[in-house]
Amino acid sequence: MNLQEKIRILAAAAKYDVSCSSSGSDRANQPGGIGSAAKAGICHSFADDGRCISLLKILYSNHCIYDCAYCVNRHSNDIQRTTFTVKELVDLTIGFYRRNYIEGLFLSSGVINNPDFTMERLVRVARELRQIHRFNGYIHLKTIPGGSSRLVKEAALYADRLSVNIEIPSEGNLKMLAPEKDYPSVLSPMSLIKEGIVQYKEERRIYRHTPLFAPAGQSTQLIIGATPDSDRQILSLASNLYATQNLKRVYYSGYNPTNLYDSRLPAITVPPLKRENRLYQSDWLMRFYQFSVDEIVNDAHPDLDLSVDPKLSYALRNPHIFPIDVNSADHHMLLRIPGVGPKSAKMILAARRFRKLNSQHLRRIGVVMKRAQYFITCHELPTATIQELQPERVRSMLTMDLRKQSLPNAHQLSLW
Amino acid sequence: MLEYLYDGTFAGLLTAIFHAFRRKEYPDVILRPQGQRLLFATTHTVETDDVMAQRVLNGIERYGGKTTCEQLLHAFLSQSNNVEILILQYARELFFQKRPIMADLGNSFVLQIHKLDRRVLREVQRVLMFIRFERSADGIYFAPFAPKYDVLPLTVGHFKHRFADQQWVIYDTVRDYGFHYHGKRVEQITINAPAFSRDSGKLSVEMEHENEDDYREMWRVYFRSIAISERLNPTLQRNFMPKRFWKYLTEKKV
Repeated sequence: MNLQEKIRILAAAAKYDVSCSSSGSDRANQPGGIGSAAKAGICHSFADDGRCISLLKILYSNHCIYDCAYCVNRHSNDIQRTTFTVKELVDLTIGFYRRNYIEGLFLSSGVINNPDFTMERLVRVARELRQIHRFNGYIHLKTIPGGSSRLVKEAALYADRLSVNIEIPSEGNLKMLAPEKDYPSVLSPMSLIKEGIVQYKEERRIYRHTPLFAPAGQSTQLIIGATPDSDRQILSLASNLYATQNLKRVYYSGYNPTNLYDSRLPAITVPPLKRENRLYQSDWLMRFYQFSVDEIVNDAHPDLDLSVDPKLSYALRNPHIFPIDVNSADHHMLLRIPGVGPKSAKMILAARRFRKLNSQHLRRIGVVMKRAQYFITCHELPTATIQELQPERVRSMLTMDLRKQSLPNAHQLSLW
Repeated sequence: MLEYLYDGTFAGLLTAIFHAFRRKEYPDVILRPQGQRLLFATTHTVETDDVMAQRVLNGIERYGGKTTCEQLLHAFLSQSNNVEILILQYARELFFQKRPIMADLGNSFVLQIHKLDRRVLREVQRVLMFIRFERSADGIYFAPFAPKYDVLPLTVGHFKHRFADQQWVIYDTVRDYGFHYHGKRVEQITINAPAFSRDSGKLSVEMEHENEDDYREMWRVYFRSIAISERLNPTLQRNFMPKRFWKYLTEKKV
């Protein structure tokens, strides 16, 4: 099989892994070496589905001994199988990198023979890139569940980011869909990496030349909609992982119908894109807007409202904290206003030291006044806010607008 | 009405600002050589003077810091209409207040400068994202590009650091100049008889390295293969990767 054919098969087999970020590491180029990592990451292209292509995201092999129902590479699936050689992958990465096609390599694999055998191959690719080719670009390695701790630690020495995919948000459902897997085999490498990173940071404080240990941290992925888990379960798990495992990112992957005959999985034809979008918005609220998970989903609202974004939904459920005065509220409260993001919150804080801000200023700064108007007071005559209008009214006014946007073919009815 | 004429360089603009202060007057327009002249106006022509320019720059740095200097330079590179007057206004306000005014976004010209700065930095970022090198027969990696603003000089440091062990050329096909890195230093060049097509950026066949077509094809295969067909979203793709970049993109050009 020629190389092009291998790329075609093994890229297609890797495409359901969502992660493609190349951020978090600022590895510098060494004399005589090639490449560097950019702290904020760089996207190099955007595929036809609109997702960014930053890394060469590919599998080492799509042979797999496991039979996880949700996975396209499961043992019982009848697809064409192939495996790279270490050299092929290394040359391909360097060749693409030199042409500025990619930021680096994101290597994962189906499990060949046993977890350690597979993990050893992945580590070997990374080692050759770093040591023989003196490659300083970004490397993201997948740790194979059940891989030995020695290999995980070695992987962290070469990789910028490591990830272990949890995939199914509750252990019971994981057991049902992937009988060979369990939570401990996923979580133990995660804890190992976390401890390694903590230890590295301490040593680095004393010895400047301590070798890097997964400088861009680790991430994981959860599949959405393959199991009946509620948004509350998913977000609590994510929040927990951020708090206890110091994860950089949790990715949410709307289940793509990759298994059409298994009755354990829902019969869907399109992935739950809206739900996935709302989960990402909630994730952002937790990471950048100082929201706690209970404020987004709780016993009364275990699932996210698909018709409005989670921040607006929070505001409508908590009208008593509004209106917020943009000229005096602190950062935490500014971030709660629908239509104000982290950037505009920061700009408001800076700008209001010079003068009191009115709605004109806010609009120019980038606040989405269409939403924010019901939740703020500023330096001008008061307008009708959520207090006067009641949440239901605000909701209907805002969603009516949204509906207009999402129906491009809707035109006004003729009067005659 | 009062108009200033300058040579279109940043140093020229700084000199014009110096003149405005020295002559205690406030021009209505500061024009580039190609600019639209006013019909009934008193004209003052500014000879670029590095000493004067440096003095203005020092003043800006003293009160606004390095970031302000960079911000003004970026805003200048946007070549937006009347950006010269904006910069003059900004400098006047800065010298009047004698403290950084970058954060005073309630002030309309500070906000406009801020937005122009961001617009230009976005273009810089896009050069880093979308530039594509092709290997030529003599081993030089060649990349043509057509940025909206004159931002190539701002990207050279990045490529020099990253591709320190390969020879490369990045070339601005609109402004017809580029940079050549030959292992040690980066030099500005102009290619007189180009061995590449201006429309496609493609090197002529005899100039191309023998493996080049393989890599190009492999990248295209990868690009097609990584997309999930259930999720096709061309609008999103174009939002992130506007069509004006496609002509030099290996995966998109025909």
